[in-house]
Amino acid sequence: MREITPPENDIQRIILKKRAAALAVEPKEDGTENDLIEIVEFLLADEYYAIESVFISEVCHLKDLTPIPCTPAFVLGVINLRGTILSVIDLRTFFELPNKGLSDLNKVIVLNDGVMEFGLLADVIRGVRLISVKTLQPSLPTLTNIRADYLKGVSEERLVVLDGGKILSDQRMVVHEDV
Amino acid sequence: MTDKEAAFLKRLLVTFKIEAQEHLQGMCAGLLRLEKKEDSAEERAELVEIIFREAHSLKGAARAVNQVEIESLCQGLEGIFAALKKNALPTSALIFDLLQEVLDSLALALADVGAGRTHKNKALQRQLVRRLEEVMRLKMAVEVPDTLTDVEAGLQENVVPLPTSFDTPIQEQGTIPHHSAYGEQNVAPHPAMPDTVRVSTDRLTSVLLQAEDLLAAKFASSQRVLDMRSASAAFGAWKKEWVRFQPVLQELKRTGTRGEACGQNSDTLELQRSLTRVLDFMDWNSDAIMSLEARLKVETTSTERDSRVLGGMVNNLLDDMKQVLMFPFASLLEILPKIVRDLSRDIGKNIELEIRGEDIEIDRRILEELKDPLLHLVRNCIDHGIESSAERLAKGKQAGGTIRITVLPLDDKVELTIADDGGGISLEAVRSAVLKLGTVQGDKVATLDDQELLAHVFQSGVTTSPIITEISGRGLGLAIVREKVEKMGGTVTVETAPDSGTTFRIVLPLTVATFRGILVRLGGNLFVLPAMHVARVLRIKAEEVKTVENRETISLDGEPVSLARLAAVLELPAPPAERGASELLQMVVLSVSNTRIAFLVDEIVSELEVLHKGLGRQLSRVRNVVGATVLGNGRVAPVLNVPDLLKSAIRMADFSSLRGGDNTTGDSPARRNLVLVVDDSITTRTLLKNILESAGYDVVTAVDGIDAGTKFTNHRFDIVVSDVEMPRMNGFDLTAAIRADKVLKDVPVVLVTALASREHQERGIDVGANAYIVKSRFDQSNLLEVMKKLV
Repeated sequence: MREITPPENDIQRIILKKRAAALAVEPKEDGTENDLIEIVEFLLADEYYAIESVFISEVCHLKDLTPIPCTPAFVLGVINLRGTILSVIDLRTFFELPNKGLSDLNKVIVLNDGVMEFGLLADVIRGVRLISVKTLQPSLPTLTNIRADYLKGVSEERLVVLDGGKILSDQRMVVHEDV
Repeated sequence: MTDKEAAFLKRLLVTFKIEAQEHLQGMCAGLLRLEKKEDSAEERAELVEIIFREAHSLKGAARAVNQVEIESLCQGLEGIFAALKKNALPTSALIFDLLQEVLDSLALALADVGAGRTHKNKALQRQLVRRLEEVMRLKMAVEVPDTLTDVEAGLQENVVPLPTSFDTPIQEQGTIPHHSAYGEQNVAPHPAMPDTVRVSTDRLTSVLLQAEDLLAAKFASSQRVLDMRSASAAFGAWKKEWVRFQPVLQELKRTGTRGEACGQNSDTLELQRSLTRVLDFMDWNSDAIMSLEARLKVETTSTERDSRVLGGMVNNLLDDMKQVLMFPFASLLEILPKIVRDLSRDIGKNIELEIRGEDIEIDRRILEELKDPLLHLVRNCIDHGIESSAERLAKGKQAGGTIRITVLPLDDKVELTIADDGGGISLEAVRSAVLKLGTVQGDKVATLDDQELLAHVFQSGVTTSPIITEISGRGLGLAIVREKVEKMGGTVTVETAPDSGTTFRIVLPLTVATFRGILVRLGGNLFVLPAMHVARVLRIKAEEVKTVENRETISLDGEPVSLARLAAVLELPAPPAERGASELLQMVVLSVSNTRIAFLVDEIVSELEVLHKGLGRQLSRVRNVVGATVLGNGRVAPVLNVPDLLKSAIRMADFSSLRGGDNTTGDSPARRNLVLVVDDSITTRTLLKNILESAGYDVVTAVDGIDAGTKFTNHRFDIVVSDVEMPRMNGFDLTAAIRADKVLKDVPVVLVTALASREHQERGIDVGANAYIVKSRFDQSNLLEVMKKLV
């Protein structure tokens, strides 16, 4: 049915009020739990990267990739994800990493923030774990340009944590071209 | 009241009932929870607030559909809750009972809405309203609200006896449960379960997607049947051989038996016995193969049946799912009367809107996509279609203009026309706009006939409006209209006649659903071409391709048709030659509004039914590709954008002939054009300088807008190619500065930028740039071609 005057407004307002109240509570100083984030760690051209799991809706196998002509090099193609067409992006092109070619081991990390959705190519998924935001170093001098743009931080084990939100909201990712 | 209005009111009432049901449920739930008194004071305040809002919303909705009884009941409820909100009223069991009673009565009234039986409950409702008012009045009288007993006593004294003062049939019916204070449960009849369910379109769409996925299973299953049939057919070849071999076998058998009869020596006998065994085995073999064939035949038949059943089920399910997502045009067109009234009033025109055929249903997804194009076309009609009253009177027309919107079913399509009786589109204005834009060479513009010229109004950047207004005039609108319509698999055309008006005709498919497509192969990749744009598929001999004016053409119905290589147009690497020149070339003739081009493909695979799917949010618009579809084997194939393909092919042809032209100009020592390249990145500057110099331009570079300004003092540039984002002075400002300068104002400016958004593009046009090239689609042919047009 079509939407009629949404009565949710008030409920939303109440929810927001509650959230505001919850947010207003000062965090405990020693709170080690609060600065933990859940990350998905993956291998890309023999380097380890990670993305916060909140931006990941799922991980799937890369199979039956269909290249789409007239798209920039970073767009690998599209896959059929349960009836929906999902575009798959190759970060290696952005990061100037060696192009190893595709194999059946390749995985697609589906990024989604409700506004934008696409898949990221990964060679191997290493797993999911919690890391402390506090331990993240801002950057490495060796990370240049675009890799630095997408960086959330570098962990003690020199794991490069990418900022999923930034990747998703980057207008450079959107292909919109007229003939 | 006309029938139409009556029908509308009826629909409205249905909508109202659904909405009211929700408000009522909200109030019921809230009230029950409130009564339990388990929540904290804060939560209770929130609950009261929610119920108050629900009552208020319901009151408003009831007023809109003229349900006076419901409105007054809600008003009473609202009063109580307003008081509760201010803590000005204690909550007693009595009040709860009264409130629940009111809700029951509301439910009853609601069940009667539209059924015309409201009469008998009216008295009860009036009485309840009176009781609500009584409570409010009492509240005022009670000085100390904490003394619940007082209030309750007061209520009992004042409220309970009230009904006796009414001599209404309600008493006799015994439906006034005002004894609830003594613990009796209300037994008002429950309203029937609503026969509509509100499901979010997201969820419905996801179900539809799953149903659509079954199509792949259906396609796969029919493919299986074909495979099995061809396996079956393979037995035919064996059978033929077997029959052919029979005489030999017979002969062998005969000699065998003859030998035994003649009593030859043991060795020969032994050999002959073996031969007989082999021959027997051959027979057995043949029997086994025949029975296998029979079995396969049976299995094929059952598979065929299963496939048919599955196909039928999938089709039915999909059809039903599509029906679920079908909406009448009315839901889109309903918004128009107000828009037309408001806009026309704003600009002081008198415009009538006539809508016909709004009850025709179409896929909801198409309606959604159609909203922007429709609004744009209607705005066009208002803003520069229909003339002002004074102008109209001077032409001898009625002072008021009319916009007619008509929806007509056309077989499996729908035609939507938006017509105005205004001044029509000035063909001369279009001609000059096309000239100004420069996409068509000047001498060609003069030869365009009216219909060809009109087709250009859908081109980006063509506007006949001398000024850009808030409503329209940027020349982007109609381009967007066409793009959206074509994306849905529709077409849009325009007809106009001076002083009698303009008609836009949009033909759309009824559902986004399946369409016929031609599957073609280029190298290892499969592509789908929508059949609606395929004029012909051809196989011709290589020698039939003739070169006319340095372009490959074929002859079709005695007319020359240009030939393009699909792989090249799609920028795919040229595949190695697959076949000898003697073999037939396979091609597809694509046509869009009178333009026909033949596209060479490696193979025309089949015609098939395909379901169009978008490419997802990241691939917002891809050149030459409109979407994708899932084939029977589960693989995805891109669906090509035919209008784009034609444009790309023409552009490539122009470019190749342009390159040929460069060679000839190279001979004459004509003055080379001087280009100013403005970019803050040294890489880009160097790159552009190289490209442009090798294309025959002289190049001067500047690092930003300010620097460019100083360069202008020493040089006379023929064209400026500038980046947009630069320090000190950006490309927009630079363009604006050039346009503002008396001497320089006519120098063409090409903006080259990473900002691909429509707003930026518009901004570029606003400041007066002649072209806007997005870096992501930055290839030198594009830039050179644009520059060639401009200088």
